[in-house]
Amino acid sequence: MLSMSAMVLTPPFDNDRDHVTTTSRKTRKSPSDAPRANKPSWGATGKAMLFILPTFLVLGMFVYFPIIESFRLSLNRVAPFGGKEIFVGIENYTRLLSSSEFWGTVGVSVFFMVGTVVFAIGFAVAIAILLSIPLRRFSWYYRTMIFIPVVISSAIAGVLFRLLYNPVVGFFNYWLSLVGIDGPNWLTSRTWALIAVTITVVWRQLGFNVIIALAGIQQIDAQLYEAAKVDGAGTFRRIWHVTLPMLTPTLFFLLVINVITSLQAFGEINILTDGGPGKATTNIVYQVFVDGFVGTHFVGKASAQAFLLALLIIGVSIAQFQGFSKRVHYQ
Amino acid sequence: MTSADMVAADASATPTSVELELDSEPKKRRFSELPIHLALLVIGLIIAVPIIIAFFMSFTPLPEIVGRSNPSILPETWTLDNYEKAWKASPFPRYMLNSFIQTGVITAAQVLLSILAGFAFAMFEFRGKAILFAVLIGSLIIPFELTFIPNFLLISDLGLANTYAGLTIPFLASAFGVFMMRQFFMSIPRDLYDAAKIDGASDWFYLWRVMVPLSKGAIAAFTIFAFLAAWNQYLWPLVITNEESMRTAQIGLRFFLVNQERATDWGAIMAGAMIVMVPTLIVFLVAQRQLVKGIAMTGLKG
Repeated sequence: MLSMSAMVLTPPFDNDRDHVTTTSRKTRKSPSDAPRANKPSWGATGKAMLFILPTFLVLGMFVYFPIIESFRLSLNRVAPFGGKEIFVGIENYTRLLSSSEFWGTVGVSVFFMVGTVVFAIGFAVAIAILLSIPLRRFSWYYRTMIFIPVVISSAIAGVLFRLLYNPVVGFFNYWLSLVGIDGPNWLTSRTWALIAVTITVVWRQLGFNVIIALAGIQQIDAQLYEAAKVDGAGTFRRIWHVTLPMLTPTLFFLLVINVITSLQAFGEINILTDGGPGKATTNIVYQVFVDGFVGTHFVGKASAQAFLLALLIIGVSIAQFQGFSKRVHYQ
Repeated sequence: MTSADMVAADASATPTSVELELDSEPKKRRFSELPIHLALLVIGLIIAVPIIIAFFMSFTPLPEIVGRSNPSILPETWTLDNYEKAWKASPFPRYMLNSFIQTGVITAAQVLLSILAGFAFAMFEFRGKAILFAVLIGSLIIPFELTFIPNFLLISDLGLANTYAGLTIPFLASAFGVFMMRQFFMSIPRDLYDAAKIDGASDWFYLWRVMVPLSKGAIAAFTIFAFLAAWNQYLWPLVITNEESMRTAQIGLRFFLVNQERATDWGAIMAGAMIVMVPTLIVFLVAQRQLVKGIAMTGLKG
């Protein structure tokens, strides 16, 4: 059986703790190393560089440099063939912001985002509460079945659900017919294609969300439940008044991660609908891909869209930092 | 396992005397577990059903899939034809080889470089350390969508499209890995380092003979993350390869789907999907505990 009681949901950027550790180490180090404590020698710096250089070389070429390059490209019109560049300033941005196509892709992204946040988090919390009840046996089997989407790629998820949605050999409409419902044209109707992609994204996100929610629930002090029990609170009142309020930091973390992940949905769309029918399931990422890599290339426009999407994601990530510091103070 | 089996197995377990002492109401408690078992079983099956269906359909003969009036999960007759077809009709052996090379190189490089840089950030004092660390952590919030167009142009200009180098080079380092290694190395008492230094051990010796053996768990967890993330990559291999011989398994599966769907050969498609999925399923079943713990601790999937 999995024992997760010892788990601590550490934020990825636990600055407070780092600070404490470095400080304590410095204080311990200073008596023996007094002259060098403040200004490390160039020799030590050179040695450290040998260890960190490979990492920074790769990140420099493929993360830091492309940020600037991406912004530069977004200020240019790039010829589809030959790559000749003409500086156009913010024209790509102003065109985007006044084009209905762009706002359509924003709408699709928001649809995936809301669907993922509501259902992938809602279901995950309910399932995690059930999983947190100690059982004498079979826990491992339930967890295995529920966690499994965590290792499934977006391509596999797309292929599996493409079968389920298939009108002839697929399963969804057959199951719906068993309860007397005439199933929709999942991938060819504009509305249902959006829902079909959302279901797939939610499914793939669910395993991860349950793991995080379960870890959060298992961190809640058991004494709180005991106290609530003594006060006469039943199961549902204990969930409502103890579990959920104590889980808010975890829920906030899940909210941020699910927003980011759903904004980045790509593989499922590529395999299920190719952005269609029409542009019904083309989110911002998909439009970046289409503009940059399919048919006639519009690298400048694609870069401008990528930049706007990145600003959105970075904004949400910064909110995550804030949320984490709140949580640290909260507990 | 059916729910009936489960209930039977559950009921057959008799409480031991120890349990009776610990729990004053064993009978009542046992009874109230039943609805939870049922709920979890149903939820688990609903979540796992796409994979279960794929598994069984990959062994179902084509005429049966197309011919039957109602889709059924279990095949009437079992066949390996679908696997043979997927393996031969499409260069799946080549796709899998490409994926293993791509994933192997990325995973090995990320683990190695993360250990090196994590060690420096954990153990050394050097000029610019704080700034470099902040720059490193800052890169974690840069989404891939922002960098992949310039990366594509750069790799193409270098003539590395459709090569293993092009598939792997942009991912040889991982800021997340450096952070994870550094966090773990810092939890190892520094006295150990000082003692080794007094005994005349070099940093290199200390890292590989003391730190790394002590950090096996954290290194294993990061290796699993790196492996899964690399194996499951989609957008980058899709844009950087357009020759069939250089496609990774995920991309190969996409084109296999497009070809076979016209022939409604869903058995072969599912066989292909199973082939592509198997390495990650094995990792999941073998290292589930470590993977789940790693996700819960870091809040990241790699």
